[in-house]
Amino acid sequence: MDFVLSQLAGFGGAFAALVVDPLTYLYLVTSVFLGIMFGALPGLTATLAVTILTGFFGNKIPLDYSLIALLGAYVGAIYGGSYPSILLNIPGTAASAATAMDGHPLAKAGRGGEALGLTTTASFIGTLIGTFALLIFVWVLLLISKNIASPEKALLALFGILLSGTLMSEDLVIKGWIAGLIGLAMAMVGLDPLLSEPRYTFGWSYMMSGFQVVPVLMGAFAVPQVIDGLRHAEVGKLTQFTDRIVPSLASIRRYLPTITRSGVIGTGVGALPGVGEDVAGWVSYGVGKTVSKDGGKFGKGSIEGLLSAETANNACIGGALIPLLVLGIPGSPPAAALMGAFMINNVIPGPTIDPAIILRVVAILVMASLTMFLMGLFTARVFIRILRIPQTVFLPVVLVLTTIGSFSVGGGINDLYLMLGVGFVAYFMNMLAFPIAPLVIGVILGGLFDETFRRSLFLSDGDLTVFASRPGAAILLALNAALILSQIPAVQRAFGRLRGRAA
Amino acid sequence: MKTLLGTFAGAAMVIAGAATMTAAQEYPYRDITTAVVWGAGGGTDTINRMIMAEMEKHLPVSINVINQTGGVAGSNGMVYVMNQPDDGYTLVGLSESNVTAAVQGGWDKKFDFWYPFIVGGSPDLISVPANSSYATLEELVDAAKAAPGTIPAAASGAGSIHHLNLLAIENGAGAEFKFVPYKGSAPGQEAAIAGEVALVVTSLAEQAPLIEGGELKPLAMLTPQSAEIAGITVPSAFDIYDGLDAYLPLKQAIGFAVHNSASDEVKAKLTEAFDAAMAGEAVAEWAAANHYDIGGQSGEEAQALFSNLESNFAYTLQDLGVATVDPASLGIEKP
Repeated sequence: MDFVLSQLAGFGGAFAALVVDPLTYLYLVTSVFLGIMFGALPGLTATLAVTILTGFFGNKIPLDYSLIALLGAYVGAIYGGSYPSILLNIPGTAASAATAMDGHPLAKAGRGGEALGLTTTASFIGTLIGTFALLIFVWVLLLISKNIASPEKALLALFGILLSGTLMSEDLVIKGWIAGLIGLAMAMVGLDPLLSEPRYTFGWSYMMSGFQVVPVLMGAFAVPQVIDGLRHAEVGKLTQFTDRIVPSLASIRRYLPTITRSGVIGTGVGALPGVGEDVAGWVSYGVGKTVSKDGGKFGKGSIEGLLSAETANNACIGGALIPLLVLGIPGSPPAAALMGAFMINNVIPGPTIDPAIILRVVAILVMASLTMFLMGLFTARVFIRILRIPQTVFLPVVLVLTTIGSFSVGGGINDLYLMLGVGFVAYFMNMLAFPIAPLVIGVILGGLFDETFRRSLFLSDGDLTVFASRPGAAILLALNAALILSQIPAVQRAFGRLRGRAA
Repeated sequence: MKTLLGTFAGAAMVIAGAATMTAAQEYPYRDITTAVVWGAGGGTDTINRMIMAEMEKHLPVSINVINQTGGVAGSNGMVYVMNQPDDGYTLVGLSESNVTAAVQGGWDKKFDFWYPFIVGGSPDLISVPANSSYATLEELVDAAKAAPGTIPAAASGAGSIHHLNLLAIENGAGAEFKFVPYKGSAPGQEAAIAGEVALVVTSLAEQAPLIEGGELKPLAMLTPQSAEIAGITVPSAFDIYDGLDAYLPLKQAIGFAVHNSASDEVKAKLTEAFDAAMAGEAVAEWAAANHYDIGGQSGEEAQALFSNLESNFAYTLQDLGVATVDPASLGIEKP
């Protein structure tokens, strides 16, 4: 208890110091705005925003101020990704892929303003939950994340792929799993992570580094959207929407349990090293679908589904900073870029870090989320006007932006061919009612699964019991098994009979 | 805001490969770009961002640092810079691990394609988890001798400097561990903390926060000198096992390079700024805080150092059976 009180007192001091410094606002407003822009432009990621700002500020300005800029951009970018997800069904970053599932149906139903307003609020509360955990539960979360080894990571990655397959299928769950397995197969391309043997590269050096996530993401979501939009575009037709963005207190109160639950899940996922915002969104969405009374409406424009995803990815920020600040191990890709910024300034994140820096980081996160909230309600008003632009004008612009985004990862012209190739395959998969999101999740998590699964077996000399002999692994294995079994008709019937007898 | 966007626009333009103007005025008259071949937040990235900021102070222009990652042993970034004009406006940020790109099929150049500048490197050491039953290097080696090839050891990826250090201590002490590759030093150290592996070989800079926080227990330095950290004196493995000097030390060399075909004027200007930056207090402070040893070699001296590393790495990889290209066919001599 004393620890909690002293942390709160220290936070108060750091927060006050931040509030009275006029320079704070200059850095905050600029960086949060820049972050939102990066998040909102398809293909430009939060990692890129933080990396570029690290390069720009580096050791040219004091660490105190560069931290404001970097954290502001991080918070802004994770939030900004929700704009194109909701308005265009194109996730701005991988972190907001789950946001599109319910966000876009809402926008199509003319409730885009309401959706943007609620995600702004949810992102704000989510960031605060993650930040609060960073302040208070630092040691508890650390204990969990330190005991996560290869078997657990492999099962978590597999769970993420299967879960997105289960959730995204319109008709048959098996179609979602097929898409997930195609993504998993695509992740196998390149040098294998353990022994550096080239796999499926056909002697082509571009294939050696494997398929990059951003071009696949852009191809899978943006290209079919543009083709479809242009095929069915009706000249002069505009989406109708109401302008109300600021959500009412009553609706926030109604969704508070969902927001809180998702915030806690997001923080927990963020605290695991190497697992970031993208996984947090999906896991929270999956849990939401299972526990919510509204679960059946998920994917058809459910506010709860939207909030599950969007709160979690922002809460993940605070979680991801826990292993970074306390162990020196970044919890997510943007946190890795942040680590570089610390080290340039001679501050080594880890057990020896000055506790005052942790308090300052917490204070900055609170200020940044507040700035994001206020600015978001304003920028959302601007962004929603995008829906007023005729599709025939707007979709080509989107294609140009996604092309730039795909090119920005540095793989050259081949990344653009990859984007187009994935895009055409995705278009036909859409027509056949195969969900495309599990494919992307397969590519994102496949690398992690491949590496950790094989390493587990390598360590155990091929003994499969490693996936059941550790307590964490056993729980995750049971979850995976339950997920698969629950979709087998015979099992479903048996459960139905049991339930019938009980009733 | 304007300058922010300006910088970003500048970086974007360079990414788009627009940097093809010809040098008419005295070098340098426009901004320089350094493409780091490893990811943001890593050692090579951090060192380059630090040294470029210092060199800027001695040059009339700015230096932008970008990351061009991927490929084999950083080959994407090296190929990218290779394809830029050799006018000194595009530098490459690299490390000793890039010397394996050629024998692994990433590109087809010997490393003397570059004119390197070495900022420094951090010495490697062997550590075990804090709760490990091994208290000294001898205990660990004896356990490995009793059960060869069963004690799991992490040392970054196959063919990395840390892997070579692990092989060297195995050869020198006559022990055999079970090498488990990880994608980088950080995941390997994480695995040691989680108890997945029994020991880890990475650099002092990378392990420092974990040793100071009591998560890792250092057993021995793989350099002739001992080291002081967190109130502990880490003994040198050289004092424990005789004859290690036949295999060690193998040290990191992190820095940047310009095309070797660049003009003498460009090389002289860069060397001047590099030397001035290295002599500055900021670099010394940075190195001390981050547990790095200062290098400072450039030009032919640095080329000789890299060529030595190149042959060492290349033939070790061939012995391991992971080299896809015969080093002799590239003109790399046996060490």
